[in-house]
Amino acid sequence: MTSAAPVISDITYHELLDDPYPIFRRVRDMASAVFVAPANLTLVTRFDDIVRIERDPVTYSSDNPASLVNKVMGPTFMRKDGAEHAAGRKAIEPSFRAGTIKEHWTPRFAEICERLIDSISESGEADLFTALAAPMASLSLMEMIGFKEMPWQTLALWSQSLIDGAGNYARNAEIERKAIEAGAGIDAAIEAVLDEHRAHANPSILSSMVHADPPMSIEEIRANIKVIIGGGLNEPRDAILTLTLGLLQNAAQRDSVLAKPELWSNAFEEAVRWISPIGMYPRRVTRETDLSGVVLPEGLQIGLCVGAANRDDRRFNDPDIFDISRPRQSHLAFGAGAHFCAGTWVSRQTVGKIVAPMLFERLRNLHLREDAPPLIRGWVFRGPVSLPVRWNA
Amino acid sequence: MPKITFVCADGATREVIADLDQSIMEAALAAGVPGIVAECNGAAACATCHCYFESAYAAHTGEIGEHESEMLDFTASERTAESRLSCQVRVAAGMEGMTVRVPPTQ
Repeated sequence: MTSAAPVISDITYHELLDDPYPIFRRVRDMASAVFVAPANLTLVTRFDDIVRIERDPVTYSSDNPASLVNKVMGPTFMRKDGAEHAAGRKAIEPSFRAGTIKEHWTPRFAEICERLIDSISESGEADLFTALAAPMASLSLMEMIGFKEMPWQTLALWSQSLIDGAGNYARNAEIERKAIEAGAGIDAAIEAVLDEHRAHANPSILSSMVHADPPMSIEEIRANIKVIIGGGLNEPRDAILTLTLGLLQNAAQRDSVLAKPELWSNAFEEAVRWISPIGMYPRRVTRETDLSGVVLPEGLQIGLCVGAANRDDRRFNDPDIFDISRPRQSHLAFGAGAHFCAGTWVSRQTVGKIVAPMLFERLRNLHLREDAPPLIRGWVFRGPVSLPVRWNA
Repeated sequence: MPKITFVCADGATREVIADLDQSIMEAALAAGVPGIVAECNGAAACATCHCYFESAYAAHTGEIGEHESEMLDFTASERTAESRLSCQVRVAAGMEGMTVRVPPTQ
């Protein structure tokens, strides 16, 4: 028996932003694909369905001519399939390799983190969003791309403006203006360093792009750097905050990871499963198809809710609980298929092996504030937007 | 179409008749061999299709690429001289009778 996707229309967009998980559960229990009216999108929330979709890029394409990402950023490989995507992906690979991460990025990122913690360690309290996670993610991404040094806020603003622009389905003029402004700023920042990268090959992403065989065109470089800025800043930032939050809310787990540092990698994987920084990303149905009993018509845009799949109780026991001791099992926080996050290993290293361990090591008796609880928001992107903490200065 | 035997970590074996235009990872997934996750579906980005290949068949499994070799440093189970990412190994006629060991974790 197959039928059209059912509809949920009795929830608001704000409910989705505040806490999407009850809604995700409702969608998951209802059908393989459900049109969620306030999101104006058909959402797929079950683990197995998303894995199946990501193994079939012919039926479920990443390419969408009407995509706002393409409009805001230009022709990026994130919105391509097959050989075109693979070529772009291969071009940036050298910057993301194991050896490069260990030998080149790790000492640099550790230094950034040390500097940031130095600057707050004596104050005894901070909001870790602005004091650590956001500058950490911004400054390390800046180095990885190969930009000249700039205030961390600049890259963070560009990133947010591009994200807002890519999700600007209401065509708000101010959001569009900001996205265009960010795009111009990025193009200029690329222009300022590109000759230097051409002349001196180095591990940065811009260098990988110009030294790839064949080298990326300037249009592709501009578009792909924008994707990397839009998609490479929030995620490590939110993963740092979510991992910290999970451990601060669960003292026994914090103690066990501090006693056994090899558990940091389990803690990191559990954090991004629990509150996945990227909660949803789109695909387009290229031909009418049956997804576990629901007919999806040709041309339909669907949203793959990996944030929901990572709490699918068909796969994870007590999925809403943060538990670093759960049996190790793959999750979808980095996506699946050909578009599997290129930054996965950098983020595992930066968040799970550098920032979080250093934070707990350096700030003694780190704890949440009862008078200022953390605030978590979002469903397309989700993470703490405020994480006020205190420690023994 | 060679017959390849997958040996899982618990000792269970699965014989698979593999198509020549596939990777070992694809052949294993198509046959439902447990223990091969292949999160990135062949992009050599996730290191979750790690397997051990008999060195006797090295001429057929081919050279390890630079990127694959670095990804193998990320595998959850120990990397050995027999380690490959099965998504990067193409099925070849000369693989008849080859055994591929699946590691305990990916």
